[in-house]
Amino acid sequence: MTTVEQNLRPIATTRPKFSWDSGVQWLVVIVTALLVAFPAWPIILQSFMSKPLYEENRAFTFDNYTNLLGNARFWDVLVYTAAFAVATTIIAVIIGIVLAVIINRTNIPLRNLYSNLVTIPYYVSPLVLAFAWMQMYGPQGFGTILVRTLKLPIWQLYSFGGIVIVSAMYYIPYTFLYATSSLALADPQLESAARIGGASPFRTIWSVTIPLLRPAITYSALLTLVSSFELLSIPLVLGNSVGIDTLATYLYVIGVVGVNKDQGAVAAVAVLVVILVTGLVYMQSKLVSLERRFVTVGGKATRPKAIDLGGWKGIVSLFVGLYVLLGIILPLGCIVLTSFVPFLSPFMNPLKMLTLENYQGIFGSPAYRQSVVNSINISIFAAAIGIVFMAVAALIAYRSTFKYRNAVKYMALYPRAFPGIIVGIGFLWAFLLVPGLGSLRNTIIAISIAFIMRYLPLGFSAVSPAVLQVSDELDRAGRVAGATWLGTIRHILLPILKPALVSGYILLAISFLKEYSTALFLVAEGSRVIGTTMLELWKQGGAEPVAALSTIQMAITAVLIIGARKLMGVKLHE
Amino acid sequence: MNNDLIIEGLTKQFVTSNSVAIADVNITVKEGTFTTLLGPSGCGKSTTLNCVAGLEQPTAGSIRVGDFVMTDTARDLILPPEQRHLGMVFQSYALWPHMKVFDNVAFALKLQKRPSDEIKQRVQESLALVGLEELADRYPFQLSGGQQQRVALARAVVSRPKVLLLDEPLSNLDAKIRESARIWLRGLQQQLGITTVYVTHDQSEAFAMSDMIAVMSMGKLQQYAPPEEIYERPANRFVAEFIGVTSFITGILQNVDGKKATLKLASGELLNIRKENKSDYVWKEGEQTAVAIRSERVEVLTEGASERENTVKAQITTRTYLGSKWQYTVETSGGSLRLESTDAIQGDSLFMYLPPDSIILLAG
Ligand SMILES: Nc1ncnc2c1ncn2[C@@H]1O[C@H](COP(=O)(O)OP(=O)(O)O)[C@@H](O)[C@H]1O
Ligand SMILES: [Mg+2]
Repeated sequence: MTTVEQNLRPIATTRPKFSWDSGVQWLVVIVTALLVAFPAWPIILQSFMSKPLYEENRAFTFDNYTNLLGNARFWDVLVYTAAFAVATTIIAVIIGIVLAVIINRTNIPLRNLYSNLVTIPYYVSPLVLAFAWMQMYGPQGFGTILVRTLKLPIWQLYSFGGIVIVSAMYYIPYTFLYATSSLALADPQLESAARIGGASPFRTIWSVTIPLLRPAITYSALLTLVSSFELLSIPLVLGNSVGIDTLATYLYVIGVVGVNKDQGAVAAVAVLVVILVTGLVYMQSKLVSLERRFVTVGGKATRPKAIDLGGWKGIVSLFVGLYVLLGIILPLGCIVLTSFVPFLSPFMNPLKMLTLENYQGIFGSPAYRQSVVNSINISIFAAAIGIVFMAVAALIAYRSTFKYRNAVKYMALYPRAFPGIIVGIGFLWAFLLVPGLGSLRNTIIAISIAFIMRYLPLGFSAVSPAVLQVSDELDRAGRVAGATWLGTIRHILLPILKPALVSGYILLAISFLKEYSTALFLVAEGSRVIGTTMLELWKQGGAEPVAALSTIQMAITAVLIIGARKLMGVKLHE
Repeated sequence: MNNDLIIEGLTKQFVTSNSVAIADVNITVKEGTFTTLLGPSGCGKSTTLNCVAGLEQPTAGSIRVGDFVMTDTARDLILPPEQRHLGMVFQSYALWPHMKVFDNVAFALKLQKRPSDEIKQRVQESLALVGLEELADRYPFQLSGGQQQRVALARAVVSRPKVLLLDEPLSNLDAKIRESARIWLRGLQQQLGITTVYVTHDQSEAFAMSDMIAVMSMGKLQQYAPPEEIYERPANRFVAEFIGVTSFITGILQNVDGKKATLKLASGELLNIRKENKSDYVWKEGEQTAVAIRSERVEVLTEGASERENTVKAQITTRTYLGSKWQYTVETSGGSLRLESTDAIQGDSLFMYLPPDSIILLAG
């Protein structure tokens, strides 16, 4: 008989005073609170001040708000933005759902190829997409000129409709991806039952498949609405020359490029936008939790049987192919080609003019080269720090007994309500106002902090589902075996969560590479990133260097995605 | 020094719910004995066990092993789980999927920074104890359910804890292995002499393994006693109904005399009953009363020996063939009863004998 070892521990009499566990938990809650509050306070303060914050004898006032609300231009912009966001959302969601159903549930030819190609815009910066469409379908675009010489009717890309279509192109993959993962969970027997009951393929899709997608539709519609509401790049690039403004471009114009910058007005617009977006985000979370009730049983291991479209399948495949070709491949191909020629024209064979001089131009200029290096560094290092921080925040929220775990969750998700451009304004003012921090603007530290804050919700929501999927008995077993909370995270949870962390990291790295709106205000001499340089070059009118930078950005993104897949077997989406 | 596990006044109220999960639970588990927390799902068994493990923080109460105090809300003391030196086996076994069997078992020893040859030796000992020394290099997903359960046990005892906690560890096993696992687990516990608290909702498990059973319902401890006592002398109506197959007969108390009385049924039939020493029921002459009867103890009389004492006539309402025996539902003038017999009884009615000491008068 084995005797039980004597317990030699002294009798504990009081609660331990300090532990690393609660130290780390407090640190994360405080840092999260600071990250969210830091850019918010100068904006709120400024919106009630008669003069810029750095000036003496400023006074408390409501004038900024009363002036703004009395400004007809502001109301025009607001209405225009709302119309733009709604139109974009409707188009993006309809096309996204149709594509998801066709590609995932029918037997059209080439569906596997399409399922990869339609998600491309998800990984491309909207700025690049705007330039690509401009190069292809703009007034001087390759495609436009080609069509014009053929004497066919011509379109105007620099218009409400043009902006809506390009923005919809950018958001379609969001709906597509949500609907796809939703379809993967839905029970395919429901469709089989409808077919056996005598329904035609289209009837089955309409009355069984689409209703199953209701939660995905609600979710992606609200996501698209919120994001397009604050979208800067596409309206800016396509609408600027014809005087079209949305709230984001309006802020950009009065705050960055305007002649006499009225900081009070900028702050007031920012506060109103944040309040509006907060309302939308709140609505989103309420509706989504309501819709969860409609989700059907999940986790079917069998691969669903495709719905047979019969004679229609060729035609449907052709339409999807045209969409991919005209909407994605040609514009992006066009911008890649542009980057390798002195200028692109349908009247000259581009293959005879191939050159690297655009790239030499970029890499020859220290400032431009630095922006590429900065972007790469931010993607690699800031995203790594960011994902670890966000993972620990998610573990505190869902896997600890910490008193303020719910606060961590709400604070980490709250930046969804901050458009990038406003995050940038807030951080800029905060860095300028706090003595000693101003010099950070010249390094990538300031921009990295702002990016991490802006993408807290993304990283947090990328890691959370994986955390919730791991049975909590695994960490409980770790605690009982003698590991502290941190020890359990280190030895048990992090190794198990590694795939989710890697894919979250790649997602964050790509987002950091794409991000430009947060950097617009914050950027300084030493902290340029690809996106800000692209806008700078665009303002100078250089289509070819812009194309070269766009191509560089897409190439780095491709390396990240392919590297993640090949080296670590990680897919960014199921 | 004795190392009894003493739970006093344990109460837990979850912030998110408005009823208490457990209320004022008092249990003493003598050193080296096996106690089972038994009760229907949701009655607070896991909550109690988790409070002992330190995985939940009770609202009130104290928990100690000998004089090692782990929880004492009066002193604002709640040790985190890692400082309690307990072993625990979970319902899902909770083997860490990224570690081999060896590393799963070695984890606690590695955290204690033991020398590597000691770790190796003790892990081998533990695995040998559960008969799995051959499988040290496998990953958990390469094991059967029964093997996983045994690894979980090896992992729980490797650091020689003074108390072993098990939360429904057999409920995920096939019915066939479950019975042998029961015997095996009890044997192991006796071999190690480890103080054990076991949670289950399965009464046959509880009776087969335990020195003491704590019956719980709706967050309250209903009775804490050895298995025989739980069965023979349930403390209240809940325990009587929950354990075994119990029926109730209603009649009027007569001839109350200290420890004996007679129950008169509506038909005029008389039943002699005895009072349990422990029952705090107050006898009252002429009172309408329900008494509990264990179905297994009812004897069916094949010949009409209606002259015998405590014999009651009943109409058969349903009969069910269970393979080894028959089960009948019968109607008496005091209510309906379930009873079992190896005989297939012909006809619509029967006589049955209710032994006086199988009739239990219950408070509550
Ligand atoms: N984390 C929790 N939050 C709120 N209520 C809980 C939680 N865990 C358990 N409960 C409630 O406490 C009661 C007891 O639960 P539990 O101890 O798990 O029961 P058992 O293990 O006996 O099935 C149940 O009513 C359950 O709903
Ligand atoms: Mg339980």
